Amino acid sequence: MLDADLPLLSVRNLQKSFGATRVLRGVNFTVRAGQIHALLGGNGAGKSTMIRIMTGGIRKDDGEIMLGSQRGAEPKIAIVHQELALVQDLSVAENIAMVHATAGLTIVRAGQRAELAYNALALLDPHLARSALHRKAADLSMHEGQIVEIARALSIGADVLLLDEPTANLTAGETERLFAVLRRLVRETGIGIVFVSHRMKEIRQLCDVCTIIRDGLTVVDATPLDSLTDNDIMQQMGQPGAREVAHSRRRFDMAEAGLVLKGAEAVIPIHKGQILGLAGSPAGPSQVIALLNGTGRSSSWSLDAKGWPARPASPRDAVALGIGYVSGDRRHKGVLAQLPIVDNVLASRRVREKRYMVRASERRECLDLVHALKLKAGSIRDLPSTLSGGNQQKLLIARWLGMSLRLVVFEEPTRGVDIGTKRDIYDLIRRMAEEGTIVVWWSTENVELLELCDEILAFDTDGRVKGLLPHDRFNEDALADLTGMAA
Amino acid sequence: MNTKAQPMTSNDSLPPAPRAPSILSAYRSEMAIAIACIALLVGVGIFVPAALSAGNFANILQASAPLVIMSLGVLVVIITGGIDLSVGSIFSLTGMVTALAMANGFGDVSASLAGLGVGLVFGSINGALITLVGLAPFVVTLITYAVAASLAFIVTNGRSLGVDSPDYWLFNSGQIIPGLPNFVLFCLLFTVALEFVLRKVTAGRWFYSVGSSPMAAYLLGIPVKRTRFAAYVISGTMASFAGLLTVSYILNAEATAGASLMLQAIAAVVIGGASLSGGSGSAVGAVLGALMITIIQNGVNLIGINSFWQGSVTGLAILVAVLIDRFSHR
Ligand SMILES: Nc1ncnc2c1ncn2[C@@H]1O[C@H](COP(=O)(O)OP(=O)(O)OP(=O)(O)O)[C@@H](O)[C@H]1O
Ligand SMILES: [Mg+2]
Repeated sequence: MLDADLPLLSVRNLQKSFGATRVLRGVNFTVRAGQIHALLGGNGAGKSTMIRIMTGGIRKDDGEIMLGSQRGAEPKIAIVHQELALVQDLSVAENIAMVHATAGLTIVRAGQRAELAYNALALLDPHLARSALHRKAADLSMHEGQIVEIARALSIGADVLLLDEPTANLTAGETERLFAVLRRLVRETGIGIVFVSHRMKEIRQLCDVCTIIRDGLTVVDATPLDSLTDNDIMQQMGQPGAREVAHSRRRFDMAEAGLVLKGAEAVIPIHKGQILGLAGSPAGPSQVIALLNGTGRSSSWSLDAKGWPARPASPRDAVALGIGYVSGDRRHKGVLAQLPIVDNVLASRRVREKRYMVRASERRECLDLVHALKLKAGSIRDLPSTLSGGNQQKLLIARWLGMSLRLVVFEEPTRGVDIGTKRDIYDLIRRMAEEGTIVVWWSTENVELLELCDEILAFDTDGRVKGLLPHDRFNEDALADLTGMAA
Repeated sequence: MNTKAQPMTSNDSLPPAPRAPSILSAYRSEMAIAIACIALLVGVGIFVPAALSAGNFANILQASAPLVIMSLGVLVVIITGGIDLSVGSIFSLTGMVTALAMANGFGDVSASLAGLGVGLVFGSINGALITLVGLAPFVVTLITYAVAASLAFIVTNGRSLGVDSPDYWLFNSGQIIPGLPNFVLFCLLFTVALEFVLRKVTAGRWFYSVGSSPMAAYLLGIPVKRTRFAAYVISGTMASFAGLLTVSYILNAEATAGASLMLQAIAAVVIGGASLSGGSGSAVGAVLGALMITIIQNGVNLIGINSFWQGSVTGLAILVAVLIDRFSHR
């Protein structure tokens, strides 16, 4: 048991530049035992950079990192990275056991390994622990992968837990369970936790104190969250304050529906310019999405629309029909990691508009999109890996902006995006809809669906359709009930 | 939709405008290789002044031409994240088929086309097995490497074949543009064309996209299979072209002519800055890589070191190039 309130880890005047970009200009940060500490800041503020420096992942330019030594030994640090870092070809059990191997040449005992992994996983998700131990990491969904990673970090019994947006890939129910476990850990063992998130509600639910970094400096240092209003926090982060959006939803005459989505259990007419939300854990929504983006040849859903096939035969076919798609798995299915930002942004346009040549005007085009989304980049010749998580997300959205699409599918488009940018993305989505594009939007954040959608198709955890809610019947509890997820 | 940037008012939440890309910085690593090539030449020149004579430069260019062309083809495959082990065998088989066709009364042009057909067919087989059947590039091209190599012996039962067509030498050494030997012209033409395609043609960007993240490329509507297929056809055909050039130069075809070229071509591409995991590389870099390998061979010969050392020196050059590449990226 550690003494509460002792600094476990503290950082003084930390500095870091990437080339000409000064990311950290003298940040202070202290993690104390028995505290859940929110680390806040807009996209690109340097949160992940700081966390990576603290764990030795990248080198600092200047500054001090002090590990408080309690029990004589240096505190053990565990980290969950923002981007999933499981070894894709290994099983879940192997991935978890990996961090426990003390030497390269120990003989692997499969039983022991499975037990270790089972215990780690059961803490967070007993069902997953029973079903997923021997599956390959590559076969896990985003949120399953995230749970495995968190379980792995928890299992090494660290004194400091650094969680970089661990909930971005989780459903509300999973988040709730994670929070319960984290609270218990802090209470019972007195460890210190650093929690990064862009969701105000979660931050308030979980954290005790917060540190805010902005423009490379600490602007709020370990201040109790109770003493700060949401508006204070947003202001310190340099985000526009919460503005009420008067989104006048339109009534659509469904007799004129441009598109009908046909499933085994439901027939759903969709009108031009409508925003259809898909709510619930991935099993159900992924079927609809696979149909629309052309990857689900065996999807149980089909399309009925003038001039459209029952199902696009391939993503290429879907793009030709005017269907855009932003995957929620930006690392594996979104970003072209080795190509500069400009190629990443324009790839969709080149395909859709059958551009045979790379045009000189594309530089301007890309710069305009980058500005419109306030995407923070050094140069459009840089690789996407130089962007912060939220900015990579903007990059994927930029691909489909202003292309007069017939339909666009968004999988968690605001994942990892800061509060101000989230507003911008909502505006962009709404504008796309107003121009007549059908928007199909899957989100595990019911609140954002309720705010923006014209209709919500709710699925339960087994992927069955539970109902289609028109916006005048929206209500958080009803949706939470239908999807089996706490709001 | 209006995606124009908002006017830059006092709004400080707007990020600074991203810098305009500079052309010079785009070729930074290529310039490093070029400088290394010159340094090598000068180094050899210190021991053997003749190394810096015009005659020796011509020798180096002639010796490097087939490797340059083959490396360009292999580069395309490597950019897509694949590998082509069959190019050396295709090179040899092309020579044998062309010489055999001539010996059987075919004209220069039709015999050469038959030779090019070898690369086209083997490249297509590679591409089809990799994209349609889904086999690994290493395995598929290992198979075609073995098959083409053995066919090169089979067509003449192992005999080498001379070419006695009186004008065939003109293909390599003639001057379509007076003053510029054809082999140099071809190298320049292919390099410029490929560099242009890779940078300025959408399909060229697709090679990189597919090599970088096949899944993301697929979901963007990029024709992943067609792109990879094309890469192997280009690679095979370029290897055949290189084979024709060599036959035209030495007027003789031998079944083992290309045996050592495959590794050299891969080495040239790697020295040129491409990553074997795909997604990067440039035509200019690959050409400079091929030149560097040739300069090393030439130097080893001129200085009079036992030519068995060539491989070791080339290996060292690869190591140095890869290290430079690694540390120039911070
Ligand atoms: N390898 C790199 N090269 C150049 N710039 C980089 C590199 N890594 C990060 N950056 C820049 O550093 C800044 C901080 O990035 P970081 O990932 O730490 O932000 P963050 O606070 O975690 O943001 P987010 O909330 O979006 O995850 C960004 O502007 C990013 O573009
Ligand atoms: Mg981050």
